[in-house]
Amino acid sequence: MNSTQNPSEERLIAYAAGTLSPPEAVVVAAHLALRPANDAWVRRLQAVGGEFLQTIDPSALSHDALARALARIETDAGEARAPAPLNDMPELPAPLRRYELGPWRWVGPGMRVRDVHAPRDGDCRVILLKIDPGRETPRHTHGGVELTCVLSGAYATETTRFEVGDLEEADESVLHRPRVVSDEPCLCVAALDGQILLDGWLGRLIQPFVRL
Amino acid sequence: MSGDVEDEFLYDRLIEAVALRRDREAFVQLFEHFAPRLKAWLMKSGVSSTAAEDFAQDAMLSVWRKADLFDARKARAATWIFTIARNRRLDVLRRDARALPSPQIEDEDDLPRPDDILVQADEARRVREALTQLKPDQVEVLRLAFFLDDPHSEIARRLDLPLGTVKSRIRNAMIKLRAILEPSEESPR
Repeated sequence: MNSTQNPSEERLIAYAAGTLSPPEAVVVAAHLALRPANDAWVRRLQAVGGEFLQTIDPSALSHDALARALARIETDAGEARAPAPLNDMPELPAPLRRYELGPWRWVGPGMRVRDVHAPRDGDCRVILLKIDPGRETPRHTHGGVELTCVLSGAYATETTRFEVGDLEEADESVLHRPRVVSDEPCLCVAALDGQILLDGWLGRLIQPFVRL
Repeated sequence: MSGDVEDEFLYDRLIEAVALRRDREAFVQLFEHFAPRLKAWLMKSGVSSTAAEDFAQDAMLSVWRKADLFDARKARAATWIFTIARNRRLDVLRRDARALPSPQIEDEDDLPRPDDILVQADEARRVREALTQLKPDQVEVLRLAFFLDDPHSEIARRLDLPLGTVKSRIRNAMIKLRAILEPSEESPR
């Protein structure tokens, strides 16, 4: 299998360690929900994290730390927050179901986008992207890393085909023009960092109107 | 690598005692073992002593609250507490000031998955053994990759190595770890 359809080892270890940026973590969580083998590997990595936690040199706590902890559990009334309600897209994998979603926006022929109200990290944010069969997005480059996971349908770039659960990592060095190759629309979740720069006549035409 | 050979399951039982009886004495033992380690973990990524201790306090409160979700057949105590702390870290430390909170990630991730047959109770032991089969410098980069916020450039700086060397060392360590832990799966990914 082409390694570009899976997260890199560095990204998985960052996910397991909790150091991946939240928008990227949302996309990786969706990928793991669709790829049990990778999910199992991340769980193993968390066992590695547990082992490192077990063997780290402890740092002394302040003198009243235990007393404060006991006072907190004494008065603790449990989780104040109820889980967020499910959103209106039951077709999404579980890790995406409790994020609020913005309205669908038209961003080009056969192409709609809605915001996923997940935690941002600077300019990095999460969107859902739905593209009709046979359509291709305008050729574009990225200000930063783009992480995309296919949720339904399939698309292909110049070199690679991406099916449900596949993850694509693209950065500023990649100029690409994904084309939907499934009979149904292709639904993706993506973490975008920075403004996408559209290329070509259509891109220049719609760039002033759309913010991806 | 662990010093708990004489009672390997001590912390698992303590979490279960908290779950079953809201056992404060068990919580005290868990707190005294794990809170200083959680604090040390955060301090390694450059967080101040005070903030790291607050983080450890919050994480241990989550342990108290979520103890009934603990299932020793799915993940051992240290892994479970690491996962709780990791979710808090993802949720709290890196959250953009403008961002909406995401309690759902933490809640979903902590739930044991009934179909998760791959992660067995002996996972911690297997991982511990696997780590002893790696070269010391491979274990060191993995450890740092888990503890640092911006692992690659930080590891390069701390170990005085070129960035490319750090990346390939982490990658080689991961490949070795996979080969040891997932030997039967010819193409695991």
